Amino acid sequence: MIEVKNICKSYNVIQKGEGFRGALKGLISRESEKVQAVKNLSFHIQPGEIVGFIGPNGAGKSTTIKMMSGILTPSSGEILINGRDIHKYRKQVVQDIGVVFGQRSQLDWDLRLGESFELLRHIYRIDKAKYEETLNIMDQILEIKPLLSKPVRQMSLGQRVKGDLVAAMLHAPSVLFLDEPTIGLDVGAKYSLRKFVKEVNEERNTTVILTTHDLGDIEQLCDRIIIINNGELIEDGNLEEIVDRIAPYKTLVVEYYDEKAPEHARCELFFHEANVAKYRFMKKDITAAALIQALSAEAQIKDVSIEEAGIDDIIRIAYGQLKE
Amino acid sequence: MKIYSYVCKMQILRSMTYKFNVYGNIIMQTIIMLTTSFFWKALYQNAETVQGVEIGSMLTYTVISSCISVILTTNVEQRITRSVEKGTIAVDLMRPVNIFAVFFAEDLGNVVALLFQNLLPIIFIGCIFIQVPLLASGASVLMFLISLCLAFFINWLLAAIFGMWAFTAINMHALLQVKRHLIRLLSGSMIPLWFFPEWLRIVLEAFPFVYLYQLPLSIYIGKCDGMSLIRGITIQLVWLAVLSFIFYILQKRAARKVMIQGG
Amino acid sequence: MKGIAGTIFHYIDVTFVNIRMALLRVVEYPSNIIGWLLSNPVQFLVGFATIQFAVSEFGDINGWNYGQLAFLYGLAVLSHALSMIFFVQGWFMGNYVIHGEFDRYLTRPMSVLYQFFFTNINIIGVTDLIPGLCVFLYGCHKVGFHWSIGNVFMIFVLLTGATLIRGGIYIILGTTTFWTRSNNDFAQYTQEIFDKTTMYPLSMYPEGVQFVLTYLIPIGWVTFYPVSNMLGLSNDYLQTSAAVWLTLLIGILVMVLAALFFRLGLRNYESAGN
Repeated sequence: MIEVKNICKSYNVIQKGEGFRGALKGLISRESEKVQAVKNLSFHIQPGEIVGFIGPNGAGKSTTIKMMSGILTPSSGEILINGRDIHKYRKQVVQDIGVVFGQRSQLDWDLRLGESFELLRHIYRIDKAKYEETLNIMDQILEIKPLLSKPVRQMSLGQRVKGDLVAAMLHAPSVLFLDEPTIGLDVGAKYSLRKFVKEVNEERNTTVILTTHDLGDIEQLCDRIIIINNGELIEDGNLEEIVDRIAPYKTLVVEYYDEKAPEHARCELFFHEANVAKYRFMKKDITAAALIQALSAEAQIKDVSIEEAGIDDIIRIAYGQLKE
Repeated sequence: MKIYSYVCKMQILRSMTYKFNVYGNIIMQTIIMLTTSFFWKALYQNAETVQGVEIGSMLTYTVISSCISVILTTNVEQRITRSVEKGTIAVDLMRPVNIFAVFFAEDLGNVVALLFQNLLPIIFIGCIFIQVPLLASGASVLMFLISLCLAFFINWLLAAIFGMWAFTAINMHALLQVKRHLIRLLSGSMIPLWFFPEWLRIVLEAFPFVYLYQLPLSIYIGKCDGMSLIRGITIQLVWLAVLSFIFYILQKRAARKVMIQGG
Repeated sequence: MKGIAGTIFHYIDVTFVNIRMALLRVVEYPSNIIGWLLSNPVQFLVGFATIQFAVSEFGDINGWNYGQLAFLYGLAVLSHALSMIFFVQGWFMGNYVIHGEFDRYLTRPMSVLYQFFFTNINIIGVTDLIPGLCVFLYGCHKVGFHWSIGNVFMIFVLLTGATLIRGGIYIILGTTTFWTRSNNDFAQYTQEIFDKTTMYPLSMYPEGVQFVLTYLIPIGWVTFYPVSNMLGLSNDYLQTSAAVWLTLLIGILVMVLAALFFRLGLRNYESAGN
């Protein structure tokens, strides 16, 4: 159970002048500006949820996840993990969380992967039998054992991310934070990462919180998404619900035998090129079957397909709303 | 040439950006200068002059030595080391610009920034707390400056040649320390050579280090004039030529080595 | 295991793992040791040559003869070496701050300061101990140091205190980077200042400097006061008969202050890439 209550975070950003004069001036006085990276965020996360944070670069999602995992101190507000404030009881609370930051590894670059695990085993006071057991489970999901004796510096990015995932799970935390975990990974590595997240979530009921730019991650993993822009929460909810609410339409793509495309009162023909036409219609106005039937009465149809509004439409609309 | 002057100018700007570093360096260098002067004062408690040099000259020596150490700041060794460690050296060497010329332009820019940021405050503080470093005679200003310029080039070449060690597998950070300590002792920057035993002095004069600090400093306090001055500057010029030649050869070799390995 | 004993046992246990990893790292890059084995003796031979020169040209320095100076110098190098092993990372804290390296320490259930210093424990600093030990033993011989258990114990107390004072000051200097967010490298200057103030008698500096180094920045306690005590040398500025124990006390005090200051700084930690 994670409770985030009214957290804010502001940074001081130093303004640098231009050219020689700016540099000289900077020696004497420096102007700094307060930037609000996160503004008054509040939400709850239940045990066993997989929650995805999405938003454009600089939206504040990394800042949020770093505050939730105890790395950054909020300027105001509080974050409770399993009922305890992570910043007041850091050492106790982090015993129950695991963190993987895609950009930075917590593994020792110079040494074999097993050495890093051994250090973690001692830091988290995991007994040998439990450690072996966890490692066996992880080996089934990620095939980690062959990598144990390989120096981390010789690993591929995909292998290193595997190492980091296992490292974060060794102490069996109930909450797992993933910051941009799939960044730079190839298809195979992405697949095993997603499989890993699903399995730890199902088998151990681990709560997973991740930030991502990858829509595949969201579609395949998250039951719930939180959209952040400019440090503010824009949407919070089930993927389908959000889709229904802010993009409650479907797109019907029809291929005709000739170039003439009929129109229909209850939908919008927004694309027509050669013998392909695309219709956008509201689910409440008309069903796809009725529409196809109506259209086929006026022209001969060769092929049809239906496109749901995707996650990228959602994001586009959500950001677009904010601009207006 | 235009690109190098641009690099130089950018470095001046970059050096000025970090306010805290600038102040930190001034404070630290001041402390070092002051402690050295106290060291000499403590030693001179029992004696008026030692080896024909009195305390006043030693204090001037200390202040000017601090100033020279500002001018003899180089970064080229670290730059080469970093480039080799990160593995970007192959790309760097194959660029259309000469990477060593870029490093030189950066070091030059850095020193120009330091002239204002560090040298002026240090002279100022030296004048107030230690003593005004009066020049022995007006005529020696020019010779001092010439000698100092030569020292700058010699120092840079030494640093660059030394930086080539980075191409071998040896840990550079340790070697850079060795170089720093050796130069400090062997160049007369802290303890002038005339305090050294005769035999050691003769040995040291065969190395380039004494022409970095000892020579310009001796000119400044008037302990080196006439024939010995001409001799000193001539030796500086010879070292400059010799080191340039060595540097040229090493640079060619490094480029070839990297081409074979990294190409 | 629970309670304080359990915590201490936990930290000792992790320390052993850290040392093991540090040794493995040394084995991984053997050329590093060669470099430092070459570098560190040179550095302190240069320093020792300076003292030898000073005494031979000028006679005693403020009433300290050659042997006593060697004893002082030896202890200064030994405490320096110990601080290099445990606390040298303090010099480079700026680098760690800028690159967000504290992220991982903050997400682990141990003291951040402990993790910072001990996951980066500098085993190679042992190479500093060798020249230190040589000069110290030479000084012991010159001053006729009596190797009784009591005296050896006092040396141990002195070195512990001295190392803590040095370490605390490194931490305080390094912590400033949480505010400045610049990659300050104090290494060279810190070392020169410590060298100049711990390897020579403090009494050669003017009273104002002695005041600062006694009460404000307690570098005088690293070697000067305790060694004066042990060798029975008096100084005009400050008389105390328990200087060795005071060194330990001040060391603990400085370390506690440094840890509090660090904690304050850590609140300003901004990770990387923001």
